[in-house]
Amino acid sequence: MDAAVDIFYRKVLGDARISSFFDDIDMERQAAKQKAFLTMVMGGPAHYTGRDMRTSHARLVKSGLNDSHVDAVIELLAATLKELGVADSDIAEVGALANSVRNDVLSR
Amino acid sequence: MVELTFEGVEVHAAEGQTVLSALEDAGIPLDCACRAGICQSCLVQSLDAPPPPAAQAGLPRAMAMDGYFMACVCVPEGPLTIGRAGKARQRLDVTVRAVERLSPTVVRLLLDDGGRFQCHPGQFLTLIHPASGVTRSYSIAGNADGALELHLRILPEGRMSRLVADDLSPDDVMTIAGPSGSCFYDPADRDQRIVLAGTGTGLAPLWGILQDALRHGHRGPISLYHGALDRSGLYLVEALESLEAERPGFRYVPCLRDAEDPAGGDLWAVVSELETDLRATTFFLCGDELLIRRMKRGLFMAGARLDQIHADPFTPAQARAAS
Ligand SMILES: Cc1cc2nc3c(=O)[nH]c(=O)nc-3n(C[C@H](O)[C@H](O)[C@H](O)COP(=O)(O)OP(=O)(O)OC[C@H]3O[C@@H](n4cnc5c(N)ncnc54)[C@H](O)[C@@H]3O)c2cc1C
Ligand code: HEM
Repeated sequence: MDAAVDIFYRKVLGDARISSFFDDIDMERQAAKQKAFLTMVMGGPAHYTGRDMRTSHARLVKSGLNDSHVDAVIELLAATLKELGVADSDIAEVGALANSVRNDVLSR
Repeated sequence: MVELTFEGVEVHAAEGQTVLSALEDAGIPLDCACRAGICQSCLVQSLDAPPPPAAQAGLPRAMAMDGYFMACVCVPEGPLTIGRAGKARQRLDVTVRAVERLSPTVVRLLLDDGGRFQCHPGQFLTLIHPASGVTRSYSIAGNADGALELHLRILPEGRMSRLVADDLSPDDVMTIAGPSGSCFYDPADRDQRIVLAGTGTGLAPLWGILQDALRHGHRGPISLYHGALDRSGLYLVEALESLEAERPGFRYVPCLRDAEDPAGGDLWAVVSELETDLRATTFFLCGDELLIRRMKRGLFMAGARLDQIHADPFTPAQARAAS
């Protein structure tokens, strides 16, 4: 999981479409959140509710978070898993799980 | 039933109950989000017994060693005294042993603590001038012989700078609190490649970590990069040069902004040119705030492991208070 966090976080910070959302945040704190994200979408034990997802991302929605950013995150997620040798069918499942909270993340 | 003490308040945890849930039952809600030991929102610190290892999974080693744990996944096995993260600090009065010049702009301050202040060289402490209340952070360059060693860059208009350079003399009393920070040597890294990089008095923690590593019989290679504007900004040069001559595997690389000088070169540019095996290296970065943040991010993006980059940017006091 730690390897996945490093790879994913590196992709996120290096992606001009979304990296600005992650500036100004302490890197260690942010890595812990990335881990929370990965654990959640891989079906691990992270007891977030839809409401939690709304609160965590409300600040970002105010500064313009939209569907294109969620698409980018899901794309980087898939690329990360592929790099780690995860099977395509599992990647699709993880992507679907991430997609299922889209409306909460975007406060809709 | 397990007895907990949280910030002085006694709280009972039922058998199998987590610390987070026991505190909530007692009307003390902590910030929390995932409730599964991942997001680290509910981080607290044990002030006495070590917490169960399961409650520390995934924490940086410095925090685990200092007793930090996640309240949401901590089922205590015995009594614990707990504080909010970062509040569990020592505070004590120390007397000045010596104030010495290391260079025209850097002073070495030795504070007698009689070995009482528990810390690792490389961490930083809060220095308080009791009469004026001026409070600043300084890194620990050493803690041998019952004294703490600090290196202060004397800023002409700096409040603490002026107090230390002009007013402080042996036997004066100062207050210290802390320590904080994850910039310190871990004996488990004995064979690891270590890179120490800093600017100005960022050398203080790096010097402390270096001495600590040598004291622990470090076996891996160590490189120390010291950035400064020009030659006058370097200090401890002789000590570092003779160490380089004596100890195979230790390299001292001054990096001066003065391009005319043979040692000219931007610290970050030099480090990224000479260091190639980023994944297998532990980094310690200290000094100028912007440069250190830039280097940390740059090293991570170039392949270094985030948990192997320990950085202390020297944020000036006003900026920190405002943010
Ligand atoms: C974690 C940490 C560790 C630190 N460790 C050390 C250390 O080991 N040694 C050390 O010397 N300092 C260290 N510092 C910086 C230190 O805490 C003070 O900020 C510094 O000594 C200036 O304090 P002062 O009271 O003399 O100046 P202040 O009265 O705070 O500042 C005077 C003026 O100088 C400006 N100024 C402040 N810092 C700088 C700078 N770096 N360059 C140019 N202008 C500046 C201020 O904006 C202000 O205008 C550390 C800071 C942090 C956060
Ligand atoms: C695709 C669905 C997404 C899921 C499942 C998800 C999940 C999470 C989780 C679990 C957290 C941690 C919350 C906490 O513990 O506080 C979090 C925080 C965060 N997420 Fe997402 N996220 C998603 C999309 C996005 C997108 C598209 C962005 C921006 C491009 C984003 C940016 C952030 C940021 C910046 C934080 C930290 C917020 C803070 O600490 O202030 N997330 N996310």
